[in-house]
Amino acid sequence: MAPDDRGLIERVARGDESAFGELVGRYQDRLFTVAHRLLGNRADAEDAIQRAFLNCYLRSDTYDARWQVSTWLYRVLTNVCVDELRRRKTVGFPVEAPDAGAIVEKPGQHLDLRRALEKVPTEARLLLALRYVDGLSYGELAKIRGISINTVKSQLARGKSILRKALR
Amino acid sequence: MDRVDDLLAAHFSVEPAPAELASRIVRRAHDAEREVGRLLDEIEIAATDRGVCLVRAERLAPPPSAKARRLVEQARVELAEYLQGKRTFFAVPVDLSGVPAFQRRVLEVARRIPFGEVRAYAWVAERIRHPRAVRAVGTALGRNPVPLIVPCHRVLRSDGGVGGYLFGTPVKDRLLALERSTPVLEGCATTRIVCRVGCVHGRHMRPENRVVFASVADARSVGYRPCKVCRPAAAA
Repeated sequence: MAPDDRGLIERVARGDESAFGELVGRYQDRLFTVAHRLLGNRADAEDAIQRAFLNCYLRSDTYDARWQVSTWLYRVLTNVCVDELRRRKTVGFPVEAPDAGAIVEKPGQHLDLRRALEKVPTEARLLLALRYVDGLSYGELAKIRGISINTVKSQLARGKSILRKALR
Repeated sequence: MDRVDDLLAAHFSVEPAPAELASRIVRRAHDAEREVGRLLDEIEIAATDRGVCLVRAERLAPPPSAKARRLVEQARVELAEYLQGKRTFFAVPVDLSGVPAFQRRVLEVARRIPFGEVRAYAWVAERIRHPRAVRAVGTALGRNPVPLIVPCHRVLRSDGGVGGYLFGTPVKDRLLALERSTPVLEGCATTRIVCRVGCVHGRHMRPENRVVFASVADARSVGYRPCKVCRPAAAA
């Protein structure tokens, strides 16, 4: 039987690199998708998940067992992605262009959705990504962003309302 | 479920991550630990009673008084936090009284370049109202007595080149990379207060309560208020 996530984290904290590899393997696709959709290009998304997993690897001894591992990983990843978005607003550092070809538009998908998502404020966009990539509950989203469940609901509703107007 | 839900579900469908991610991260972890340790070991600090007056990678004279010794100690702690990505500003005072007037003006401008941002030598020259003195600005920054604390590493060539640096261009590259990957604004999930990273309040924050924000406005939009001590809105 595969070890549970908490068991893996305990082994990572003891310096077990194979346990870390297993942990990365379990979550990398979902985390990469969240980062890619938020940051818009593969290079920045890959750097973001590397930094997020690096933080988890170096600080695995501070993991609080009351948290679900996935919630903890998403908290670390969203912290990295949000700061990358902040950095893009500042002057000076060049930003990678979005890789239009990498995000494949699926049949029936509205081509304007990506443009519409850019109109959604950062916090709401982040919550939408987490909600739709992994189907996280309101409670998990609240814990990841350190906000109340009511704020999660209002941010999601606000985000979708902006999308509806933009796609009309 | 409406049309927007369907579109979002399709847009956010899971895709595979790049291969061999775990081994690359482990390599990066070992490199990061080595780099921080090496930089910290190299640095020596000197201070007067007014503030830090010299940061160099060589043996320096011991502090002349108890107050200067405390300032050296404070600077060492802040530099260690900065190099570990736990600090985005320096609270320790600097003493530039022994620096010529032109260089002091250059250093004062460089000191106001925000953490994580870069400017050109020509930009600094314009700010001190000597737009043609670009080379002199480069020389003044090259002789910066308090590198890191006065962030001359945030000044680059106009063509995007890194330019020179007292500790060498590889160190300048590492510092810029460090600032690119260090968050600036962090909120506490229990107090709902957002601070600049390095604020005294942040020291008491448990790691699981730490939430990064892109702006003070974003933090306010989800119920956080700015810290009254470090005043992140004023610094932004």
